[in-house]
Amino acid sequence: MSALEARNLHKRFGGLEVIANLNLTVPPGQRRAVIGPNGAGKTTFINLVTGWLSPTSGNVFVDGHAVAGRPEKVTRSGIARSFQRNMLLEDLTVVENLRVACQAFHPCRRVFWRSKQAFATVIEKAERAAERMHLTDILAVPAKHLSYGQKRQLEVALALCSEPKILLMDEPAAGTSPQERARLIDLINGLPRDLTILLVEHDMDVVFATCDLITVLSYGKVLATGTRREIQDDPTVMEAYLGHRHAGD
Amino acid sequence: MQVFLTQVLNGLQLSMLMYLLAAGLTLIFGLMNILNLAHGAFFTLGAYCGVVVAGSTGSFWLALLVGPLLPLLLGVVLQSMVLQPLAERGRSTHLDLALLTFGLLFATAGAVEWVFGSAFLSIPTPVALSGHVNLLGISYPVYRLFIIGVGLAVAVGLTFVFDRTLLGATLRAGVDNRAMVAALGVNINALFAVVFGLGAALAGLAGVIAAPLTSVYSQMGITIVVETFVVVVVGGLGNLRGSFYASLIVGMTNAMSQAYLPEVEMFAIYALLIGVMIVRPQGLFRNVERVA
Amino acid sequence: MSNEVTMARTSTAREGITLASQVRRATLVLATAAMLGALALPWLSASYATTLAIEIMIAGIFASGINLLLGGTGLVSLGQGMFLGLGGYGVGIGSTVLGLPLWLSVPMTLVVVAVLAAGIGAVCTRTRGVEFLLITLAFSQLFFGAAIKLRLTNGSDGMSGIPRPDLTFLGLNGDNPVVFYYYVLIVTILVAAAMWRIVESPFGSILAAIRESERRAAAMGYAVSSYKVGAFIIAAVTCAVAGILQSQYTYFINPDSMSWQLSGEGVLMVIIGGTTSIVGPLVGAAVFVLAKQGLSILTTEYMMFFGIFFMLVVAFFRNGVVEALKSALWSKP
Repeated sequence: MSALEARNLHKRFGGLEVIANLNLTVPPGQRRAVIGPNGAGKTTFINLVTGWLSPTSGNVFVDGHAVAGRPEKVTRSGIARSFQRNMLLEDLTVVENLRVACQAFHPCRRVFWRSKQAFATVIEKAERAAERMHLTDILAVPAKHLSYGQKRQLEVALALCSEPKILLMDEPAAGTSPQERARLIDLINGLPRDLTILLVEHDMDVVFATCDLITVLSYGKVLATGTRREIQDDPTVMEAYLGHRHAGD
Repeated sequence: MQVFLTQVLNGLQLSMLMYLLAAGLTLIFGLMNILNLAHGAFFTLGAYCGVVVAGSTGSFWLALLVGPLLPLLLGVVLQSMVLQPLAERGRSTHLDLALLTFGLLFATAGAVEWVFGSAFLSIPTPVALSGHVNLLGISYPVYRLFIIGVGLAVAVGLTFVFDRTLLGATLRAGVDNRAMVAALGVNINALFAVVFGLGAALAGLAGVIAAPLTSVYSQMGITIVVETFVVVVVGGLGNLRGSFYASLIVGMTNAMSQAYLPEVEMFAIYALLIGVMIVRPQGLFRNVERVA
Repeated sequence: MSNEVTMARTSTAREGITLASQVRRATLVLATAAMLGALALPWLSASYATTLAIEIMIAGIFASGINLLLGGTGLVSLGQGMFLGLGGYGVGIGSTVLGLPLWLSVPMTLVVVAVLAAGIGAVCTRTRGVEFLLITLAFSQLFFGAAIKLRLTNGSDGMSGIPRPDLTFLGLNGDNPVVFYYYVLIVTILVAAAMWRIVESPFGSILAAIRESERRAAAMGYAVSSYKVGAFIIAAVTCAVAGILQSQYTYFINPDSMSWQLSGEGVLMVIIGGTTSIVGPLVGAAVFVLAKQGLSILTTEYMMFFGIFFMLVVAFFRNGVVEALKSALWSKP
């Protein structure tokens, strides 16, 4: 049974078909990269899988169960997502960001008469999440005062708080320095092996260092799926990136 | 049947008056994302200017010409010297600017009350436009037909400017991508100031035109602002054509309920707005090509 | 990242925590002083100050309701006046039309308001930002129009003869301004305490998350609309409490209590006082009521100066008086 499967996925905006009959299967525990030239539909694909857009037709399955509807429902089914542009709770501290994330499936979330500090299990979860991401030193710092690299770390940490089976990362290396990129690679490789990861990235260093298999998207369709070597040798991939004239050179 | 026809024409007249206000408001919002609650202030100022000019020169036509000028000036100044700098300083969000214009609305109402007192004023109907005319079997006031005519003329004019001229194209581009248009060398701040001024002038024009028909008083802007917003939201914020159709809907609703269901008159249009919000929050006319 | 930078950041964080605890201590002292002052007020001064204080507290409760939405959840409503009015009219209708005792009409009013708020909130929260502002305004105008037109509410003349609580079982006369002052004071303290608990609760933390980033909150797994409606209901009930007190204070309610100008004044109070604290709305209410009183003594042109005042506050004191004072007092030289 695959962890994530997209079957006959279509997405049309008016006259423009952005995703055209996309089929993708990711087995559990795999590290899959999704790459492709700009406009290939990578972000639309992620938005479809995580419920921010609804498909014109087709289905997404997680562990064999169909997934549909709004982002909050999608997170419940075990998919988490980190965003290309940081979406942190800026005025709140790092620990509060994590605590709110960890609270999402805890029964205490509906309580409005007792202090949030009374629910120690949630706080402990948040502190453990911080430890995993090496954020313990900056727990009391408001998110808006973090460096860009630290914000990216928090961004991933928040996604992991929902204890997902599948993690979708939308261009996590965007805008990072070489040191931060190295740390990002370590971070991804350090994640539990049973966590399925789908990585949308432009940065090929990160892709090659972390992913088992690469899927290339072009014009809303899967062009090729293979290992690094297979993709690099594939002429259709070359053509998609560089244009018709260079194919076969 | 005759009564019905009269009501339809009344509705049309009301619609055109609302359109003059709504067009300016929706332009300002569509282009600058500013919720200009001070729009009522421009309406009030136009009316009072008209009263002053008509009172001192005895000419309605001069009042019509000069009345919108103060709102125009105030609009340009407000946008370029207050709203734009605040927005650029980053200290103020769109909400803050909306609240700021809210304060201006009250300040203006208070200021005119200070200068003119709380008496109800008016502009006399000009001789050329007074009296009735026989139309389709009923006798209808010429002045109301004049209002309808002005409204339609403005609608045609605005549509022409936005669809066919370079200015219109630039404005449409500015709505889509403000930074790009600025990068192309267009003075985007000047553009916004002009549009804000134009919107204000239209509101001022509406004030002068409304004066012979209704009373001119300090709070007139406050009551009209909410109704204008209903029109703008129903038509789709930033949608010029949508505002035209929405003005027709709201104007007709108002006139019909005034005539046939006076108990619900006060809230008919709000019920309409709520209905629209439930069904299509983005306005009824989203599919109509956004002109601005 | 170098060790020095990390150390500097940690020590700044530590400094921040120490500064925060200093501010907290100072606030506690100020709050206690204010409480003692409030308790002793009627004995210390003329009855004019007492009536002013009653008006401030009622306005403060109204502003607190608005702030739960504005500062707490990031929702700006220009229609909270409708709930204030519904509260006042609720006891008005309950007492003078249905002849019910207060201990029945007050809870019934609050329940009706909560149910209405659930429905209205469900509709309004389908929109956000500017559209939300406008639709709350529209609902408010709807109720305003109904209050003027309906015979039940006695039209624009309003309803009079609204009773104050019957405290004869305590040997006290509710009509006595001093007794009424303490009654309002107790309610104000309860409301402030309730607001504080709600903001500190898990529910309150979710509202804060929605305010900071609605998309993130949804991505975390929260059913954002439900929480917004919940906040809307609590805010509505709070504003209704203010309305009940208001109608008892003047023995009277009329449609002006639900005008959108009133809603605007409430928002101004919240902005003046600052949206980030529980006490902000109360401070803002105090500043507003005092300024309004002062202005009406100085000049007959209240509206013009109110408008100018409003603009200045929005332009320069966006974070509110409380924040401005804090940064003035605690900024490093």
